[in-house]
Amino acid sequence: MQKSLNKKFAIVGMGLLAGRFPQHSQRSLQAEAARLAIEDSGLNPSQVNGAVDLMLAPGSGSPPMETDHFPRILGLPCKMFFSIGRGGAGGVLGTVAATKFLEMGMADYVVLSYGAKDWSRSRGPEKTGIRSIEKIGHWGKPFGDLAAVSHHTFFASRHMHEYGTKSEHFGAIAVAQREWAQLNPEAHFHGRPLTLDDYMNSPMVVEPYRLLDMCMINDGAMAFVLTTAERARDLAKPPVYVLGAGQGEAMESLWWEKANYTRLAVKTAKEVAFREADITIDDVDFAGLYDCFTGEVLFQVEDYGWCKKGEGGPFIASEGIGPNGKININTSGGLLSAYYFGELTHIAEAITQLRGEAGARQVPNARVGIASGHGGEIVSPGMCSTHATLVLGRD
Amino acid sequence: MTTTVPRPRPNINEDIRPFWDAVKERRFKLMRCQTCSAWYWPAAYCRFHANEPFKGNMKWEQASGRGKVFAFNVHRKAFTPAFEAPYVYALIELEEGPMFGSNVIGCRPEDVKIGMPVEVVFSDVEENLILPQFRPSSIVCERA
Repeated sequence: MQKSLNKKFAIVGMGLLAGRFPQHSQRSLQAEAARLAIEDSGLNPSQVNGAVDLMLAPGSGSPPMETDHFPRILGLPCKMFFSIGRGGAGGVLGTVAATKFLEMGMADYVVLSYGAKDWSRSRGPEKTGIRSIEKIGHWGKPFGDLAAVSHHTFFASRHMHEYGTKSEHFGAIAVAQREWAQLNPEAHFHGRPLTLDDYMNSPMVVEPYRLLDMCMINDGAMAFVLTTAERARDLAKPPVYVLGAGQGEAMESLWWEKANYTRLAVKTAKEVAFREADITIDDVDFAGLYDCFTGEVLFQVEDYGWCKKGEGGPFIASEGIGPNGKININTSGGLLSAYYFGELTHIAEAITQLRGEAGARQVPNARVGIASGHGGEIVSPGMCSTHATLVLGRD
Repeated sequence: MTTTVPRPRPNINEDIRPFWDAVKERRFKLMRCQTCSAWYWPAAYCRFHANEPFKGNMKWEQASGRGKVFAFNVHRKAFTPAFEAPYVYALIELEEGPMFGSNVIGCRPEDVKIGMPVEVVFSDVEENLILPQFRPSSIVCERA
């Protein structure tokens, strides 16, 4: 079958700002990350003539009616610009869309940028402690379904019921990712290690999830420059190729399909992405698996095929996914221990690893990595129905 | 107990208004295909055959209000003062098939179990807010 992506496009620059930035707007953070990404690539901003705004959801976080989006603030001579939002999967989907514009010759270099002000917003006078994605149609609010943890716990509840998964298994994920974070100076929890006892003693927030099953919030932005493989050759940094990408949807089946509570929509996403990339799971040197909660990591370790469905808990606890584990999962510390930019957290780490710039956490001879996205509408019974897979690689 | 902060109100639009109108009359309705009798929640076109314009073949019909706990959690923390922890939020597998997100009340959170039979109860949680919640039931439903 003819391949659309396999090594035809590459990421040539990256900008990352993670932390707390109460003094800057979200757009300005996105513009600054984009400026850093362009500088990193060695391009002149006047050459970057395409841009994509990566949002959690259109209309949320970064209102679509703004006239001065980040490329305009930066003065980029854009011939194309659009916003894309699908929860924590917009980065992968935006990348796929951008390759088409590059292929059609509508742009030479496209900069994609994601921004967040979640930490600052949580400090505001109208502080609610709720990071709401969907404001309209969100079914459960009168019943107290107020935050992502209010319904993502259903996944954990079902997995524990069907397969005997235990809190300690989720805890092993939190601990492993925190171990990776100790090797990443940019991680929020760098310098703050975690034991399984710490995890078990952390407060129960929404049972079965404890505080340490939940990802964090922060401010900042992540941007990267995408271009054709041909244009990527003579730039400042070694190209990181897009080897494959795919998407899966829980809406392939009925809203109340029971299997969708013990799996994510990985199957189709993985099949398409791995076919494009010509790889099997054994070729994957490291993976950034979307980790809004510990349970999503456990599901994906099964869904991608590192172990059988239902065996993720014992597999992770015995084989390990940390720095000394059998597989290298969420090597930055992930959303749980590094920073939260949706799946851009994982794309940033994949770029860093494939460039060989990951320092103490560098996976030796890393050639192929994946970054996965997860998200979508939050309307129980159907929640976060999408999954996206991006396969990146180097020469 | 009374709280000064009201609960969030349901987002009622054209699609779901008949459901909430029925709740006001303490009746539990789901959407049902008049062609093949399949039940739906939330509102949808029937996916088993061709549909009439604007899902004219779909009607809101009285449902059993019975089901089983499919998955649940216990909120040990209330994210706003409008709620009092602990409370149980659950996915109820309805006798008719669809999943329905609601609270399980009428027992201690510790006593809620997956597979537990439940039935709908219309709770006056606040002035002008009736919610279809679920309580333990002795009637074991037919299919769930």
